Amino acid sequence: MSEHAHAHAAEHSEGSHDGIAQYIYVFIALCLLTTASFFTYSDYWPFHEQPKIGWAFMMAVSCTKAMLVILFFMHVKYEASWKYVLTVPAAFMSIFLILALVPDIGLRGHWLSEERELYMAAPRAPHKATVRHGDSPHGRAKESPSSGESH
Amino acid sequence: MAQALTHAASHSADDHAHDDHGGSHVGLEYHPGLPIPNGKLIVWLFLSTEIMFFAGLIGTYIVLRFGAPTWPLPREVHLSEPIGAFNTFVLICSSVTIVLGLEAARANRAGPAKGWLLLTFALGSVFLGVKLYEYNAKFSHGIYPWKPHSRVYEKPDLNYAAAVRLRLNDLESKLKAEEDALNAKLSPEAVDADSAIIDVRERLAVVKELTDFELEQEKTAATNSDNTVRHVALQELADRIMPLPTGHGHEEGLNDVHEWFKLPIVIPGGNMWASTYFLLTGFHALHVLIGLIVFAIMVPMTLGVMRAGIVENIGLYWHFVDLVWIFLFPLLYLF
Repeated sequence: MSEHAHAHAAEHSEGSHDGIAQYIYVFIALCLLTTASFFTYSDYWPFHEQPKIGWAFMMAVSCTKAMLVILFFMHVKYEASWKYVLTVPAAFMSIFLILALVPDIGLRGHWLSEERELYMAAPRAPHKATVRHGDSPHGRAKESPSSGESH
Repeated sequence: MAQALTHAASHSADDHAHDDHGGSHVGLEYHPGLPIPNGKLIVWLFLSTEIMFFAGLIGTYIVLRFGAPTWPLPREVHLSEPIGAFNTFVLICSSVTIVLGLEAARANRAGPAKGWLLLTFALGSVFLGVKLYEYNAKFSHGIYPWKPHSRVYEKPDLNYAAAVRLRLNDLESKLKAEEDALNAKLSPEAVDADSAIIDVRERLAVVKELTDFELEQEKTAATNSDNTVRHVALQELADRIMPLPTGHGHEEGLNDVHEWFKLPIVIPGGNMWASTYFLLTGFHALHVLIGLIVFAIMVPMTLGVMRAGIVENIGLYWHFVDLVWIFLFPLLYLF
């Protein structure tokens, strides 16, 4: 038993000893991941035409970052099993909440009354190129909205 | 110390369970419900309610946003992605500094622990400062989450045109009153040379010009038989006041050229955007503020090993605040 405890203590002290280095690694990883999700904003991101790819990518990056923070900064990796009791039900409830909202709120655009549709917001830009002439009072150059739309 | 004791107690209990044959002495051992201090347990219970609180907010945002008929681009609502990325970086740095503070406190190095705590406080303040700057950019463009201040309209319809007309009439009567007051004050020969009155007259001319244009467009929109022409007439009005940015450039509208104009603007989906943006970032900023208050309270303490538990608990809370921002940044700025 004492041998076991000793081994455990050694492991523990070792864990906190290289803890600083570990924090630095996690910090670098977090910075790189932030850059990765910010990369979707840059012109070099190849999927501007299909925003869903970017969304999935950013959510994957965010979940990875969240896990890094939870596991290493909040030390959840080193906690006993009680961590599951407090986090898993809360996480499930959050997912169920979102799913419960989808039929009524998320899909509300699928069953619109005529009146609702009349007063609904509609994208403004597409008409611009077809109608606007270069004779605006401020002499603004007409731009194609297609580049802005795809973002 | 207490932590170490309970830790040892739970481990010896485990060991007994392993090589337990008779088990007569096991029942006498003190065994806490969870092998963590009470304070930490409370913080974790609180955090699990916080998970649900923010999951509710973020979840509703996602559902509202993807069910919306249209959603404004970040540029249209004056949201700067680089600023958001900078704030993400600031919060990540502050997470590192508080965890280093915890390590220092555990090693009973109170001085460095206080240094890390102060650095965390400074980084949190930077985050809030940037947030304030961002809010101000929205407010100055008439984007508010509530009605008397908000000048955002969902689409360029007759309702919008009427709002523009009312604002123009309001401006005209105010400027006329100003002109009359100046006329009464100044002598007849000085009137034409006075810079204040020249300025007022220039403004009146601008208002007059736009009023004429607005009336013309509104008339077209109300009477023309062609649906497209009606639509285009009001769209031209909205474009003149605040053109939606196209590409990476930002055209200037009348609202930008004349800051005193403060005319209603059209941002499709802008009101729902403002409601969700200010609610999410507002609650997050409130959490940051509460964290900063706790840091400020902790500054006079000696953060030795006796206080490591407190540093750990506020650290857990602070990491959670960072965690929420990790999701908010891409969802609000990059989606």
